[in-house]
Amino acid sequence: MSKHAVKTGKGKRRRDNIRGYLFLSPWLLGFLMFTFFPLFYTFYLSFHNVKNTALGWELTPIGFENHITALLRNVEFTPALLSFILMALVYVPGIVIIAFILAILLNQKLKFRSFFRTIFFLPVIVLSGSVMHQLMDTGSTDIMFVDQIFIFSMVYNFSPFIARIIYILFENFTMLLWFTGIPIVLFINGLQKIDISLYEASQIDGASPWQSFWKITVPVIKPIALISTLYTIVQLGMFPINPVYSMIQEAIYNTAAGLGLASAYAYIYSLVIALMIGLAYLLLRNKEVVAPVVKYRTRG
Amino acid sequence: MEVSVLNKAKKIKQPLSKKMILHKIRYRIFGYNILSGLASRIVSYVLLISISYVFLFPLLKMLSTSTMSPNDIINPEVDWIPEKLSFSNFITAYHVLQMPQTLFNSIWYSGVLAAFQTIVSALTGFAFARYEFRLKKFWFSMVLLSFIIPLPVVLIPRIMIFVSVQSSTGIQLIGTIIPQLVMAMFGQGVNSAILILIFYNFFRLIPPALDEAAHIDGASAFQVFWHIIVKLSIPSIVTVFLFAFVWNWNETYTTGTFLRGAIKLLPIQLSVFENVFANLAPAIPGQEGANRVNEAYRMAATLISMLPLLITYVFAQRQFIEGIENTGFKE
Repeated sequence: MSKHAVKTGKGKRRRDNIRGYLFLSPWLLGFLMFTFFPLFYTFYLSFHNVKNTALGWELTPIGFENHITALLRNVEFTPALLSFILMALVYVPGIVIIAFILAILLNQKLKFRSFFRTIFFLPVIVLSGSVMHQLMDTGSTDIMFVDQIFIFSMVYNFSPFIARIIYILFENFTMLLWFTGIPIVLFINGLQKIDISLYEASQIDGASPWQSFWKITVPVIKPIALISTLYTIVQLGMFPINPVYSMIQEAIYNTAAGLGLASAYAYIYSLVIALMIGLAYLLLRNKEVVAPVVKYRTRG
Repeated sequence: MEVSVLNKAKKIKQPLSKKMILHKIRYRIFGYNILSGLASRIVSYVLLISISYVFLFPLLKMLSTSTMSPNDIINPEVDWIPEKLSFSNFITAYHVLQMPQTLFNSIWYSGVLAAFQTIVSALTGFAFARYEFRLKKFWFSMVLLSFIIPLPVVLIPRIMIFVSVQSSTGIQLIGTIIPQLVMAMFGQGVNSAILILIFYNFFRLIPPALDEAAHIDGASAFQVFWHIIVKLSIPSIVTVFLFAFVWNWNETYTTGTFLRGAIKLLPIQLSVFENVFANLAPAIPGQEGANRVNEAYRMAATLISMLPLLITYVFAQRQFIEGIENTGFKE
């Protein structure tokens, strides 16, 4: 094979095909077995009563029973899901916008720039579910008590709903900041790819800084905002501030109700996540192509 | 000679008109751009410092609480600085966490998983970076999809697979590292998609001419991968390994489900700290301070469990941040 290693045209394509799949094969097998198949099998399971017997797993079809139990009969699941949705709708935009502002601040020529960046990235490394649980549980994250601030009661009298949103935002403000680590780095990376001469050109043409921010910075940053949003949605789900995950885990351990109910939980939850991702995509996609604006790194 | 004359000529100050001086002051303070003036610079520093404070607040609080004696914790006048530094909390927490053993467990557990994840991610990243194979775009989008899918959806069948294998072969799998090891070996570990992306972007920076030359000299595809790509990518291999290590360390959801406490790991031991503590410490009924005293122990335990990662971060922060920069996340 090595004798004819360098080929062109059809031969190269076939060689690439074989070698590509050769290197890909461990991941491909794992993906099919541990991700692709489970994705559909969980859906199938959610319509069954699943029991672990001496002979193996026993499935009895029960229709929509599990879904009805999850949404209507279980008094904890729906409220937990709703509170997660509300929290995510406040947290995700909050995290992405704050990360963007911090990235703009850090993108200047400041002293101690890398020091600040080091602090902002720290939670990515040290934060685990149990650390978060301990910090929140002992009140170490309570930097302020929002409901004791005068303005808050004013807002509450005006609109309890807005007050609720403000409360969610600032109740665990530190936790919210701790999710910005990776988005900040992505945003800084994106901001640095914008050609500075574009700003100078727009300035000569009489654009105000405000205009050049919206016309140059925002379109370039939109794809990164989308990626950061997706990342944040995924990350938020995995921490104890999300009550749904722990409910699913309990359902997995609960042998009486079985894995069928856990599957129904998991699928309803995934549907919610999929809707959020769809919403983020609709809001943040770029309608027009902005390719010439970005100065791509040259590749060898 | 001429140059120095020119320089001198430049240095002679020209008298500025009043308008120009005003303009210059305005420029110094506000700048031409939103972000280039002195005023915005001060605002930036104030914002960054205050946000850093909020970022570090829980950690500072943890540090202060963990060194408090029981009296300091109950005393409402003691807010940040304990009256007397007490390190006995750490000794208690150390014992409740069953420390040297859990630390070693966590290190080898995360280390083994991270090593396998690094190898498979490198192979996968190489396939995507170098070869044009059929359905490449589809599989690449599947890598990204595997990152978005919520964990519980895939976790339930994964458990069923391993429980079935365990009961049909009689080999103990649940409560050992094997299930997670198998998933790591096949590229389905924690955040594998990000690791693959880091390698993918890094390998694309290596000129293909290098492997073409090696191919002409008769090297096989695997030799090219090993002798050229791997040797040139040591920095990114280190980065990926560190990330995989930290993520496996911090992961408690899958780990908790498969291990069920059979191997005691540091983060899992921390999450059940209160229960273990309650079992070990003699219950003292009717004592009001009892629950509050617990806080100092819990913060000491949290600090202990964080310490290995903090040390790693201090030495490898550049690798971590640059690693995320290299994911690039390009469509």
